[in-house]
Amino acid sequence: MPSATVNNHRPSELLSRLASSEPEVKLRALREVKNQIIGNRTKKLSFLKLGAVPAVAGILADSADDVIDCNNNNCNVNNNINNILVQSAAALGSFACGFDAGVQAVLDAGAFPNLLRLLSNSNEKVVDAGARALRMIYQSKLAPKYDFLQQKNMEFLISLLNSENENVSGLGASIITNSCETSLEQKALFDAGILRRLNSLLECGSLSQKDASLESLASIFKNNSEVVSKFAGPEIERPLGSIIDLLKDRYPRTRLLACMCLIVIRSTSPNLLQDIGIKSKLIHILIELLDDPGQVGDEAPFAFSSLIAQKEDLQKLALEANAIDKLHHHLQKGSLHPRRYEGILLALADMCSKLESCRSKFLSLQVLNLVTDALTVDSADVRTAACICLKSVTRSIKNLSAGYFINEMVVVPLVQLFLDPSTSVQVAALGAISNVVVDFTTHKCIFVQCGGMKQLVQLATSMESAVRSNALWALKNFVFLADNRLKESVFSELTASLLSSLICDPEPSVQEQALALVRNLVDGCINSVEFMFAEDGLILGAIGRQLQSTVKAEIGIQGMYALCNVASGNEFHKEAVMHQLFPQMVDKNQSFMINFLQSNDSQLRTATVWTIVNLTCRSSPGAFGRLVKLRNAGIVSQIKNMVNDPCVDVKLRVRTVLGQSMAFGDN
Amino acid sequence: MPVRVAENSAPSQVSGTNSGNTSPPACTLLSVGQAFSGTQNVSSLQKEEAWRVNVRIQGCDLEHGYLCGTMEALNVPMADTPVVTFWEGEIVDTKNYTFYTGKWEASSEDDKRHWTKFPSFSPLLNQVEVDGGKSLDLSNYPYIFMRWFYQWLLLRS
Repeated sequence: MPSATVNNHRPSELLSRLASSEPEVKLRALREVKNQIIGNRTKKLSFLKLGAVPAVAGILADSADDVIDCNNNNCNVNNNINNILVQSAAALGSFACGFDAGVQAVLDAGAFPNLLRLLSNSNEKVVDAGARALRMIYQSKLAPKYDFLQQKNMEFLISLLNSENENVSGLGASIITNSCETSLEQKALFDAGILRRLNSLLECGSLSQKDASLESLASIFKNNSEVVSKFAGPEIERPLGSIIDLLKDRYPRTRLLACMCLIVIRSTSPNLLQDIGIKSKLIHILIELLDDPGQVGDEAPFAFSSLIAQKEDLQKLALEANAIDKLHHHLQKGSLHPRRYEGILLALADMCSKLESCRSKFLSLQVLNLVTDALTVDSADVRTAACICLKSVTRSIKNLSAGYFINEMVVVPLVQLFLDPSTSVQVAALGAISNVVVDFTTHKCIFVQCGGMKQLVQLATSMESAVRSNALWALKNFVFLADNRLKESVFSELTASLLSSLICDPEPSVQEQALALVRNLVDGCINSVEFMFAEDGLILGAIGRQLQSTVKAEIGIQGMYALCNVASGNEFHKEAVMHQLFPQMVDKNQSFMINFLQSNDSQLRTATVWTIVNLTCRSSPGAFGRLVKLRNAGIVSQIKNMVNDPCVDVKLRVRTVLGQSMAFGDN
Repeated sequence: MPVRVAENSAPSQVSGTNSGNTSPPACTLLSVGQAFSGTQNVSSLQKEEAWRVNVRIQGCDLEHGYLCGTMEALNVPMADTPVVTFWEGEIVDTKNYTFYTGKWEASSEDDKRHWTKFPSFSPLLNQVEVDGGKSLDLSNYPYIFMRWFYQWLLLRS
């Protein structure tokens, strides 16, 4: 065979050879394309742009047709056709492998049905090539959705799973992993006996079959407690035994997939896998898998997070297993793959999300520096993860109280992220800052000095509602227990008109945060109440309007507490509140106060009763007059009905109101 | 003076939900930002001393029976300015903590002797003598019992 010259390797050159009518030339060109693109994303892209995929797909289509037409027993012809089928399938598979644009191109070129046809070819190598290529496609979200509910399709799937050929049975499993979504589909797969076949692959299959089965089992179990209980039912001798055994498999990827499958089962059926033995095992294996230098090590922290998230018992066990030390150790390594970096930060975030003991450990190891470093890296996902980690750690009230977090090292990079091009980074940074600014020392000014406060006000006008509501949340926390000087600077930056328009924002979450911000602004020294009356009482009016129209308890609660704080002021303030609670109504509609007092939400009832406590406290000159108005509006009799409210907080405040009203001789 | 109810939004914190039937209920008076005034009696055999104190709650996590805050002591002898300290507390919720301290060499006798100083404790004494009050149902009791521990001095700039 003459050796090809350099010129012959150019993509355009190869493409023209693909079009050759000579099978040998075509075959060599196919091989060459495949060899060039394997593992090379850049090459895949450049061949893609030249139209290589339709060309190869065309070859596949023609050759597949040739197989049907060919009735002769000419070995050479058959060999050539088979070789071409194998190489064109392999090339298409390579285009699709880990490359969504490639998957799309293969599908667009109409190659999918022809690849499927290869599965029923008499030649084993052809079947294999077809199955491999289809597996590559099914690793992508772009793969065509498989309809399990059609009988024909289920039968085809079963035939794939029952095949001796590893790639074919693996394809069956990949299809399940890719397309199984609804509980109806999960049940259909269970009813068709698929789980039994997958389970036997776990026990007796090859490495690739075990891995593929673990992934498909997880997708069949996910959120379907009925299927899980049937699979792991009490009548089964060693429920989940085959999966648990794979926790000890010598291949890291298999151990990881076994963990992930068991984690799915645990979260779907919380009564299963609860003994401390299995919990400890899962933790230890996942921590150990962090050491894997490859993709398994990249994915392990994500699996770890899914195991411990929201679960204090597991976080405690993981703390005892030195998880934070191990995660810290990996973080120190530097030059981390972005996926791994993100995973480790999120795992630390989950570890520190609920337990002070974990946060103490984190801080004692001085992991904070490493996390703030991650705020400035290229990857947006990593920056987001770093912010989420900081949000968890800064929940430590005792460290907030000691002023540990409100310093330039933490605040400055977070404030810089307010202008990040990625919304998810912005929102995550706002979340972290929301905690940091709950500082109980006198260092909140650092946040003003670095321009953070002004930026928050800017962000409160963002087009994205998530950014608006999170910016307001941060401002709410910033003014919490702040001195009047600070509150004034925030208020003059915000302005009464912006604040009142945010109270009436189209998004309820924004309304709620705006009201809570006002609540915190008017708390504290009595002068703060004056904010409410700026610009002719714009804010007060907005609150009154919002309370009249809202149906959401959360908004009622914040609004009522804002008014409650105003009502703790002087006569003028109390009367202003009365005016909002009982505006001149044209018709005799029931006051929203009655609705709030009758709400199912105990917090809303509590907030409303507190407001009435403040309005009717005996030492105020106008208290009696207000009591009369309340009685006329039916409020007092409603309160009397609440002496046995199921919520103790409400009951005690009701008693206070009634005690105050009895002082006026009211019955 | 009327009760100035200054209700604040809590910072990003685990909210106090009623976890289990026997723990004390959530209470607006025991929440972040709430402030109280009172006296700390530090009398001993040698001296009679009582400090006026202002307390501010900074953290309240009912699920874990935890709270914390600051205490400002106003008339501490030898101190030019008020002395501010940070404290952490345990809420007696029969789940995380009982009436028995269970550490720092505090005996159950010590505990009972201290709790008995509160009239609101007397109805509970019998049950506490049996099992530390573990089986008490405090979900409707109008008093919340706590132990507060000094942690460190706060230096205000």
